[in-house]
Amino acid sequence: MLFWQILIDGFAISSLYALGATGFTLIFGVTGVLNLSHGSIMVAAAVAAWAVAGTFGFGAYGGAFVGIATGFVLSLATYFMIVRRLQETRSIREEEKEIFILTATLLWGIMLQEAIAYLFTNNAKTVLPIVDGVVSILGVRTPANEIFTAVICWAAIGCLWGFVNRTRAGKALLAASMNPRGVTLLGFELSNIYIAVWAVYGALAGIAGVLLGMFLGVSSYSAGPLTASAFSIVVLGGLGSVSGSLIAAYVVGYLETLTAYLVSPAYRAIPALLLLVVVMYLRPRGLMGRR
Amino acid sequence: MSEPLLVVDHMTKRFGGLVAVKDVSFSIRPGEILGLIGPNGSGKSTVMKSILGIHPPDGGSVKVDGTEVAGWAPHKIAQRGVGMVFQHSRPLHRQTVFENILLGLLPDRLTYLIPDAATERRAREIAEKVGLGHVLDRRPGTLPFADLRKMEIAKAIARNPRIVLVDEPFAGLTSRETAAFAQLIREMRDDGRAVLIVDHNVRSVAALVDRIYAMYVGERIAEGSVDDVLRDETVRRVYLGGALTVAARPESSFKDVDTPFLAVDKLDVFYGKAQALEDVSLKVHKGEFVAVVGLNGAGKTTLFNAISGLVPYSGAIKREGTALAGRSAAKVARGGIVQAPEGRDLFTEMSVRENLELGGARLTPEEREERLDWLYGLFPILKTRGKQNAGTLSGGEQQMLTIARALMMKPDMLILDEPTLGLAPVIMEQISKALEKLRQTTPLTVLLGEQNVTFALPHADRVYVLEHGRIVWEGDPSRFEADVGERYL
Amino acid sequence: MLSRILKSREIWFSLIIVLCAATLPVYVSGYVLGLLTIAYYFGVFSMAWDLLFGFANEVNFGPSFLIGLGAYTAGILDSLYQPPIFICVLAGVAAAMIGGVVLALPALRVRGPYFGLTTLVAVLMLQNFVVVAANLTGGEIGLTVPDIISVDDKVNYWLALGFMTISGLILYGLSRSPVGLILQASGQDTVQAGALGFNIVKHKLAAFLVSAFFSGLAGALMVFYLGAASVTTFVDVTVGVQVIIGAVLGGRRTILGAVLGAVFLIVAGEALRPLGELATFIVSAVALAVILAFPGGLLGLMRGSRGAS
Repeated sequence: MLFWQILIDGFAISSLYALGATGFTLIFGVTGVLNLSHGSIMVAAAVAAWAVAGTFGFGAYGGAFVGIATGFVLSLATYFMIVRRLQETRSIREEEKEIFILTATLLWGIMLQEAIAYLFTNNAKTVLPIVDGVVSILGVRTPANEIFTAVICWAAIGCLWGFVNRTRAGKALLAASMNPRGVTLLGFELSNIYIAVWAVYGALAGIAGVLLGMFLGVSSYSAGPLTASAFSIVVLGGLGSVSGSLIAAYVVGYLETLTAYLVSPAYRAIPALLLLVVVMYLRPRGLMGRR
Repeated sequence: MSEPLLVVDHMTKRFGGLVAVKDVSFSIRPGEILGLIGPNGSGKSTVMKSILGIHPPDGGSVKVDGTEVAGWAPHKIAQRGVGMVFQHSRPLHRQTVFENILLGLLPDRLTYLIPDAATERRAREIAEKVGLGHVLDRRPGTLPFADLRKMEIAKAIARNPRIVLVDEPFAGLTSRETAAFAQLIREMRDDGRAVLIVDHNVRSVAALVDRIYAMYVGERIAEGSVDDVLRDETVRRVYLGGALTVAARPESSFKDVDTPFLAVDKLDVFYGKAQALEDVSLKVHKGEFVAVVGLNGAGKTTLFNAISGLVPYSGAIKREGTALAGRSAAKVARGGIVQAPEGRDLFTEMSVRENLELGGARLTPEEREERLDWLYGLFPILKTRGKQNAGTLSGGEQQMLTIARALMMKPDMLILDEPTLGLAPVIMEQISKALEKLRQTTPLTVLLGEQNVTFALPHADRVYVLEHGRIVWEGDPSRFEADVGERYL
Repeated sequence: MLSRILKSREIWFSLIIVLCAATLPVYVSGYVLGLLTIAYYFGVFSMAWDLLFGFANEVNFGPSFLIGLGAYTAGILDSLYQPPIFICVLAGVAAAMIGGVVLALPALRVRGPYFGLTTLVAVLMLQNFVVVAANLTGGEIGLTVPDIISVDDKVNYWLALGFMTISGLILYGLSRSPVGLILQASGQDTVQAGALGFNIVKHKLAAFLVSAFFSGLAGALMVFYLGAASVTTFVDVTVGVQVIIGAVLGGRRTILGAVLGAVFLIVAGEALRPLGELATFIVSAVALAVILAFPGGLLGLMRGSRGAS
């Protein structure tokens, strides 16, 4: 019974982690940017969905739509207002740009987080779920929302996979992650590819944020830990490797669930961190890393 | 005669499956300059880095004044008295020239916190000696390129090494600067140091070195005095090939004589302070095969990157009379001027077919299939490798894929940058045949950059010679050997 | 070179500011003094971070790992056995320096974002440890230490100011010294620095130790100023973030700029406190604007305007 419960709960959480980390790793793989406002964008999407669905009474679907749109808009704003300006400026040496982008996205994340806290308070918010009720799987009473979360996560990841592997734009995007110069030489405008990546990322972060809001709830305090967990998962899987992040998301998700059920919820983050440290020492490139 | 200071014995170095250096042996005495010569990819730089422990050798021995140092950490070898003058240096930008030179004099100790007067005086002396006395308080970023190179020499001298390794000392310098720099190297010899100079060809170091050790694809091909090596048959074959066959079409045979397909006019390109191209003008007619030959660092890649819109320039680049300036690199490529770059820039974790399909992304499916079939005819090996990742191909196959991927774009003009770099003669032959077929059967215009004259000349209708960023010769390939052939040894 | 440091206008300018700051207790309230006391400790945190980033080229996301180790070790020792304060502080420094070695080990193997992450993980581990070992550390509620340095605002203020000044002089002097030159050379290009005969491992390790020394010392002293240690003041990732932003905002690679940035962040954050959540928003927005518009930071901005006049 406990076994099945862990299996089912862990699967839902891991799927959510996987979706959140996929966008994060995509941005890194293609544009080389570690976006530290990641958690804030997810929270903003969730809070927008919560406000529209609940406070303004537009229902679960309206909320979800606005939430995803919020992620999309904020992601593009991050790119145009901050990342691109820093990438194109000549007053910062190339080798220093990384720390500037990290610092700037971090500050931007804090701004979003504080704006949310100011406008909507610090309280935890649960987004009106699209499906509710409870179903019984293998004797485990599982909220339908949990199944819905896992299904949507995998549908979104599947769409991303199809986009990257089956469409021309997606292929170009994948190629840009391997060799940006090569893509330029074949006549693709790199700047368009970057905009496309940030747009895709925004949608993924929006979906992940809204689902998180329905499943576990969010508050403005969640922003930092969300960024940190995405970062850890992505590094564990190997920076830039989407398949690596998917595997790592499940490893971390199940480790946390196991610890929470079998030891104590207070310790849930520790085994994953320990694993991360071990991997960093033994295999610094991560499980599937190529850089 | 004195004992040799540096003895390299049967040195071997592998990178993965590639044997970069095979069984190389030489020695240098105090007060002697040895020139280590070889074309690009011959392993000469690797030899130098292996001596200093940056890439520890896999086999053989390196003795510094009788002590075996193979396998030591670089700083230990450096402390034994080996110094290196890097070709690409990264000075401390926020420090003055004085502090940069002082760095070379500092002991490797954590307790040395206040430099004593003698050390500072020594730094000034060295600066005077290399001719930087008047710029001591300037920052490196404000210095001309030649002074930066002098600063690197100063840093190396500061450690008072008994053995000095100098990587391509004259790259990017004008002839007058070259003379001054050569004098500095001579002074190192006169101080009793053993000097190893790595360079591409005999000519550029002939006046400076006492002996030459020539390498090709990781192995020794000749050794001895400058004259011996210049007369050596193998060296001549490597640099000049056998009898040159040419099949040039006269320039007047092209229809667009007045407004050529591509016209480059008075092109200047700077990388920071260093001028990479100076007053370069050339033209390419529709359907013509033009070769730009020049050594590594002469500016070929910069020229091609300027044409492709990848680097900013002054001067004009016109296609059929219309200036290309202001267009993005991608737009230039979409417009039909496509580059197969020196670094290949393949998508290494995609299959061969996916690489090709990306090149043909703007074609209709039928056109794409047709184009693929045609390219598989040109390079049959690519068809059998279709599902393999590009990164797993051999060097030659990767080069073919690079060319094929560029051709998938149905270009009007193909820019080929160093297609033979590091390839075995058999593979060169295959690429050569493909180029010949392109010339015979298609209206394609080709601009080919090569240091391998043997490869370039048979395909060329006209030839430009690029040296230190300037065009120094242009003309018919049949006149090449008589006019400028000697420079290429 | 020593004479160069003495000739540097920045040092004299800074010393004049310090002298002015030393007279503040005469005419400002205890509340302002308390705020500045904290700001000065943060200044030391930021300077210590800048030595690692600006000179050794190591992006350490975990300054609060070193700070927290110093603070908690000193605090726990005091609450358990009440030895003299200086013993506790020394223990804190020692713990931070051991932490410095722990951070340095991966830095010598992995680069860029991976190193950044290991430092971040170190912070998270420490944070988890503090929460889990609650009977030792006071957990999420925090640890109250029985001793404090002084109850007098002015004494605490002068102590912090003096400590910051001395730390600043040492770190600035170090950054301009031969060892600082070697450190920069190793940070910029390990191959070429090695070819000049410098043992990069040794110098980087030393940089980590120095950075850890000052972080730990400042952390430990701050515990005995506050009389308490908690995760949110010493260990949390946001503490480290504030330290980093302070250094980048003030002007990276300047050591002295780091103080400027850190003091600005603390003081501005407090001055805007009546605005509630908006305070952090505004401070972050200003910091972001400065970084985007003036990458040289506040010190770079001041240098630029001086150069122009």
